[in-house]
Parts: sequence; structure tokens; C-alpha cells
Amino acid sequence: MSVATRAPFDSEVVTELRAIIGDDQRVLPNISSRVNRTRVPAPFPVHRWADFVPDVAVLPTTAEEVSEVVKLANRLRIPVVPRAGGTGLADGAVPLRGGIVVDVKLMNQIKEIDLTDRTVTVGTGINMLKLNEELKRYGVIYPDNPASYPCSIVGGRIGTGGWSLLGARYGHTRDLVMSMELVLPTGEIIEVGDGGGRKLRKSSTGFMLKQLFMGHQGTLGIATEATLELVPRPECEFSAFFAFDDYMKAYGTAGAIARSGLATLAGVVLFDEWKVRYLRRDDEAYIEQPADVVSVVAVALYGTRAEVEPASRRVMELGRSEGGRYLGDEISQGDWASRHDRYATPLHGRRRDGQVVPMCWHCEDAALPYSALPKVREEWHALVARYIERYDIFDDWGMFAYTNGAYKPWGDYLVEIDVGIWEQELNDDNWAAWVNLKREIAEVSLAHGGSITACHGATREGDAELVPTELGSAWQVVKAIKRTLDPNNIMNPGKQMLDEAYAEEVRT
Amino acid sequence: MPNNLGDGAGAKADGTGGRAHAEFVERWRDAAYGCYSSGHKFCREVCPVTQVTRNENHTPTAFHADIVAMEQGLLDVGDVADDFVHCTQCGACELRCPNTLFTGDFYRHRTRTVEVVKAMRAFMVDAGHEQPGWKRWIEQLVDAHSEPVLGAVPVEQEHVADWAAGLDLPVGGEAVLFVDCEAAFYRTSYARAIAQLLKAAGVEFGLMREQWCCGGPAAEMGYVEQARAFAEHNVADWRAVGARTIIAADPHDYIAFTEDYPSYFGDDYEFEIVLAVELVADLVRDGRLTLTEPIERVVTYHDPCRLNKRKGVHAPPRDLLRAVPGLTFVDVDHVTQWSYCSGAGGGLQVEKPEITAEISRRRVERAAGLEVDTLVSACPWSERPLAAAGDEQGIEVMDLFELVAEAAGIEVGGSTGVPVAREGLQ
Repeated sequence: MSVATRAPFDSEVVTELRAIIGDDQRVLPNISSRVNRTRVPAPFPVHRWADFVPDVAVLPTTAEEVSEVVKLANRLRIPVVPRAGGTGLADGAVPLRGGIVVDVKLMNQIKEIDLTDRTVTVGTGINMLKLNEELKRYGVIYPDNPASYPCSIVGGRIGTGGWSLLGARYGHTRDLVMSMELVLPTGEIIEVGDGGGRKLRKSSTGFMLKQLFMGHQGTLGIATEATLELVPRPECEFSAFFAFDDYMKAYGTAGAIARSGLATLAGVVLFDEWKVRYLRRDDEAYIEQPADVVSVVAVALYGTRAEVEPASRRVMELGRSEGGRYLGDEISQGDWASRHDRYATPLHGRRRDGQVVPMCWHCEDAALPYSALPKVREEWHALVARYIERYDIFDDWGMFAYTNGAYKPWGDYLVEIDVGIWEQELNDDNWAAWVNLKREIAEVSLAHGGSITACHGATREGDAELVPTELGSAWQVVKAIKRTLDPNNIMNPGKQMLDEAYAEEVRT
Repeated sequence: MPNNLGDGAGAKADGTGGRAHAEFVERWRDAAYGCYSSGHKFCREVCPVTQVTRNENHTPTAFHADIVAMEQGLLDVGDVADDFVHCTQCGACELRCPNTLFTGDFYRHRTRTVEVVKAMRAFMVDAGHEQPGWKRWIEQLVDAHSEPVLGAVPVEQEHVADWAAGLDLPVGGEAVLFVDCEAAFYRTSYARAIAQLLKAAGVEFGLMREQWCCGGPAAEMGYVEQARAFAEHNVADWRAVGARTIIAADPHDYIAFTEDYPSYFGDDYEFEIVLAVELVADLVRDGRLTLTEPIERVVTYHDPCRLNKRKGVHAPPRDLLRAVPGLTFVDVDHVTQWSYCSGAGGGLQVEKPEITAEISRRRVERAAGLEVDTLVSACPWSERPLAAAGDEQGIEVMDLFELVAEAAGIEVGGSTGVPVAREGLQ
């Protein structure tokens, strides 16, 4: 078996990398460059930081440089870990076996804005907010809009198979990336799109390869350029928040709005009772609500005024149809407008005794059928409660459910449970508890016909072990693809149980 | 699990870093965790340095994560010294931080990245990791009492008020105008414009007997003792001439006088600090200054970081521009300008002039995109690199006071500065 594993790093490799990159400022073997490319915002075992530090980071500016770096790594069996924003919530960019971090942030050029065929071609190191700042003058936007919109980067969106808050209206990353250039684990540069076209939205030629290179968590290559969808800058935005005295009424209302058939519907968000309780208890920006508010539904519409105005009236009817109370323009517009800033702000949580302690936030996601939401909610909260009881470093910050399907928001949901973790208290036991909690959360999702993850990725311990279970009979195909494209397992090794692809090679 | 840090991993926290390391970490660790544990990097794309280098080490989040890593014994001050040079102390990261935006009310919290950078730079000096350009700069500063803003040409204390030639300004009095080193020796038109505007409005003020550098840049580069010595001299001089009010012409001085000096002197600091741009805007609004001369220019305004981001001062400069007859003012709102910078602050232009130049080039490019002929700033430090970039892109860079003085019919005089080789700046 010729699998890349952690091995003493030869300084000759740095010399070769410098020869490839040709600029010592972009080959970074120094310790602070490595330490700062180790973690992502997901909970991190701070006490084991050293275990995940890569050996060197490179900042390429062209696909050719990436290709040569990967060829070198493949020749020498050195792990390669692609890194874009490093803002993921599931460790896709965390090196598990050292190696070379290929940081794409310098590949952030806008290469072409095509207002005729409605595409923009970019280097994958660009951030969506920055891209849209440039697109504004042309009356178009690239509507990939995750919670991390101000800081995440196109390459990472491709690598993780990102989900967009506006996805019900405009699609998610996999719908919005029309084609891409990427470097395979053996160093070849290829282009994939629909058929052979870079600017086509549908083709039936050959295999549908584009989706294979979406959401692979950096295990199948490194995207270096992408041609993206441009949509008309929406003339009109409408957002509404409705309060409920009962979760099931909110759940029913969310479903009714999602099934409404309104084409301008960009998303529906359901806050459960634990979430509202948490906001009331500890959210610094919480605007006081009556005690009977226990659940909330938020809705957003985007489009032309001719569409959005009548649709908004329908949303107001549906929002109130099961007892929902409109929370007013200030909350509806303000909370929606500040949605990006709201997603990661808590500086504190509480221990069992109510004592405030510094906590980091973790959001554990899943894709679930609408029918499963009430039951999964109960089981997830019960699980977290059990871990809080035993390990006093967790806090339950409630759940959100978001419409999940691109253009078809009615049937399934991206569901998240937010767990506060007292990161400073992590040790081997506590970390193991966290991993076990993750695993149990994922097992509940699978038991209810869901997927471990809708957008973060099943790349870390706790989730990763369940990937073969979730994929079932297709797992053998996945392993065959991985082994074929990455014969030496150099590309982000150790993720998603893909080492199994090589274990079989040994047995045969 | 084996790691690739060698046998020393973890040792730095246990002893090799020493007591200073431990004390530094103890002082800053909880604040660093506030960033580290949310870890969402919204600061990154507004950071002027990160926008250029795209290097994760140069991001505000990395500055905080470095402290956590120091606590874990993975890094020491020498490991991060070069990273901490990559900051203009513009404050954009603090404003864009969700922790500031959304927990501020509850905790009275503002992410204090600028303070962290200043503290780390001071630790760098103490621990023997001085940066060569800053070291030379400070040596010349201590020698001449003003910053070496003329490069190879020495600045001399006896010429610190030459900019005021012919203006007949007294020494001392209730109010003192403080003119910073860049304006006193390099862009003297800036100093002359503000002084003549105040005179025209009937504001009584004088100069110091012996004005030294405010000490702010020294503090920004980590030279705390030197910065404080300058502050002590200036405060003594203010008291000696009977000053109660200090008019800070330059935003950098305003930061020094309202943040650094109070931290040095506590309650023993009795001065009212007036920001010149606010004063002049008041004078125009109150009719004590009238702007009658049409200025036929199409301008946009550059929000100096220390006004807009550090002090929230963005309306008075715009009020002034709107009061200038004949002017076409194409504005870019001050929040958008959180991500703009000239790159001149925080000593960056001394150590990394190529990054400063690129930040300024991009700023001027944005102005050019608005199809203006003039970029107006309100900070002399920004105007040198912006003007260099403007020369290349056909955009003139003016100071707000120069423009307003012209509109007030004042013959400003002085010099807008002669470019000095970057090597000279070091």
C-alpha cells in the first residue's frame, strides 16, 4: 500500500517548492504560517493543536503552480490539504497528517465578466462579498450567500458543497458554479462543466462530472478557477418574522410557506423552542418578546417588485394562518439584514448551575425530510441534555431548520443544532465526549432518513465513521473513484473514511 | 499522535518563553479567546493588509490565534514578530468583528485588535525582536525629537515651526495648535491651511515653545518608553505656556492625545483635545468662516482610518466638502470605506513600503473608478502614498484643509511635499 502518511518532512521539499513557486514569500515553512493554517472555526482540540500542524504552506497564483506542487507531492507521497477561507464548520481544511497546505487565497482575480451569457469567471480565492462589490455596477450578483458570506471563499464553497441562505430562490453553490478548472490529485489540470462547455447550464454529453467535484472536501483535487452564474440584482427584498406560542404551529406554518409555490421564495427559517429560549436567556441583541413566544418562522423573498409585492401579501396570510404573529418591520428587516453577523457571535454560554463561562459555538448540521423535524428535534435535544448532565462544558443553544432544496424548498430541510462548548476546558476525555455526541447526533439523522450533513461536510471524527453507512451500496463506487483519481491517497488524506479505498487494495 | 514540531513543541509555555511570555499571555489570553472561539474572520476582507497579501498570518484573527498558540506553547514572540508588522492599526477589523457588533451592548465589548498589535510590538522590542526599519526610525526620532519624515535630510528641532513662516503665530496661550511631524516638515501646506483657516475665523491660538513628536508612531511601533518620554515633554510644554486646549490638526495626534496620553497620565491630564476637522466644520456651520471661492473640481473623499474607523468621525469632513461652492462631490459612504486605507499608518510604510504603496494604489484606483479628478483626504500621513499613487493614475490628491482654505480665499503657501525615496524613509 502506498499511502501518504505523516513522515519526517525533508527540507529538500521546501527547496523544490521554492523552485516551483519562484517567490519565497509564497512558500511558508515558518512555524506561525503553519500554526495559522491548522484549524477552522469548528470546535478544535486546542490541547492537541500540535497534532494537526502542516509541514509547509504554499500560496500559488496559477493552476500551473498548483499542478506542479501536487505532482511533487504525489511523487514523494506527501499529503496535500487545500485551504480556501478556512471558515468551514467540519474540518475539511484541517490537516490530519501534516503535509503541504495549498492556500488558494491569492488566486482571487476576476478574470471575465460576461454580461451577454451571464457569467463571471474568477480565481477560486475570491470572497463572494468582494465579488459582489465589483458586480454591483453591472446590475448583477453572484447569489451564493452562506452565513459566512463576508469571509468564505469560492474555492471552499466548491470543496464543501456549500448551502446558500438564498438557495431556494437562486440555488446553492453546486447550482451556481457552472464549470471549473481543477487540479487532480496526480497533478493534471482539467476542466469540468456541463458537457464540454464552460458557460452551459445543461448538457447530456458524457458523465455529469461537475457534481463529482462539488463537496468532496478537498479529497479529489483543488479547484483553481470557476465560472459562476450571474443573476439580475434583485429589485426588491421582503423579509418577515412570525412568532408562535407553539412549535408545531410554527412547523406547520413553515411547511405551508415552503409549499406555497411562490417562485421568489428565497428561504424559510424555523427557530425551535430551545433556540428562542437561548436567545431570550443569553443573546446580547435579543429584543424582548412576550413569554408566550416560543418559536419563530422567518421568510425572505427576492425578485422584481412585480413579483415580490403580491407574493409578500401571500406570505403575510400564510404566516398568520396558524396563529403566527408578525414581529414587525424592525425585527423582520433588521434581523434579516444582519443575518451574517448573527451567526457566530456568542462569547459565552452557561454551565449547569447557570454560571456564565466563555464558550465557542458549534453548529451541527444535517439534511432531513420535513416529516422528521419534530421527532429529530426531540431526540437531538435529549442527547445534548444527556451530555450536559455528564460533562459540564456543553450548552444547548437550540435549533434552526432552513429550507434545503434549490428552487424546490418544500420537501427537506437543512437542520442545525447549536451547541456551546467551553473550549478552554477541552482535554482528551471532554474531546472524546464531543466526538461521541456528534456521532450520536448523526446517527439520529440517519435513522430518520436524513443525511449526516447538508453543507458542512462529514469530514471529522464522529461524523466520518458513518459515511460508509450513509452511502451504503454506493460506498464501493466512491472508493473506486477515490482510488482511481488519487492512487497514492495524497489529497487531504484521512477524511471521510476514504482510507478504506486503499485498505482493500492491500487485501487484493 | 506524533507531531511535526520537533521535541521542543509545548516547551515554550513551560519555561523557554520565560516570565515575560507568561505574563503577556496571561494579560491577553481571554480577549484572544473571544476571537479565537468564534473564529469567523469577518475582519479579513476589510483588512487593508490582508486584501493585498492574502496571507492568513497577517489577518486580525491570526493575531488573536497567535496568542492562544503562545499559551499552548506552540509559538513565541520571535515566531510571530514579522506577522505583527503587517498591520496599519486602522481599526477596520474591530468594527467588522461580529463580537463588537453584537455583543458590544451587553459586555461593553469591542474587540481590541489594535491594542493587541501595539502590545505585541512592545513585547517584540522588550524581547529583542526589533524590526530594523523601526529601530532606525526611532533612533533618528529620539535624536531629532521629530520623525525622520524627510528621509536622508535630517529634520531639526530648530525648524519645527518653519512651516508657519510669515503667519505671525504667537507662542503659547489658552489654545495650542499641535502640528505633527509630517505636516511640519513635509506637507507644510497642510499645516499652513489649518492655521490660516483658524486665524480667518478669529480663533486665538499659539504654538508650543518646543514641539516634539506626539510619540504616537513610536507607541504604534512598540517603543513605549520613548513614546511616553515624548508625551511627557509635550505635556510639560503645554503647561509651561498655559495651554488648556490642544487643537490636534492630524488624526494620528488626536489618537495619541485622546488614547495614549490619558493612559500615561490618568487623572493628571487636564487638557481639552479638539480635533481640527471638527472645529473647522463648526466654524463653517456657524458662519465664522465663509467659503466663497468656487472650486471647479470633481472630488471624492478618503476617510482617514483614524478618523472614521478609530474615532467614528466621518460627517464633519463631508459637511465641509458640501459647503465648498462649485465642487462636485462623489461620496462613498463611510461604512464601505471601512475596507479602504492608504496603508500609511502603524509604521507599515517604514517596514513594508511595497505593501503601503499597493494599498494606496488600490485606494486611488477606486477613486478613479468614480471618474473624479481629485481625491481629498484629511490626514497628511495618508496623503504621501496616496499622492504617489495618484501621480501614476492621473488623480490629484489634496488635503481637505487645503481645499477648504482655497475656497475661503486663502493663499495657502507651503509645500505639498517632495517625494522621498522609500529607502530614505527607513
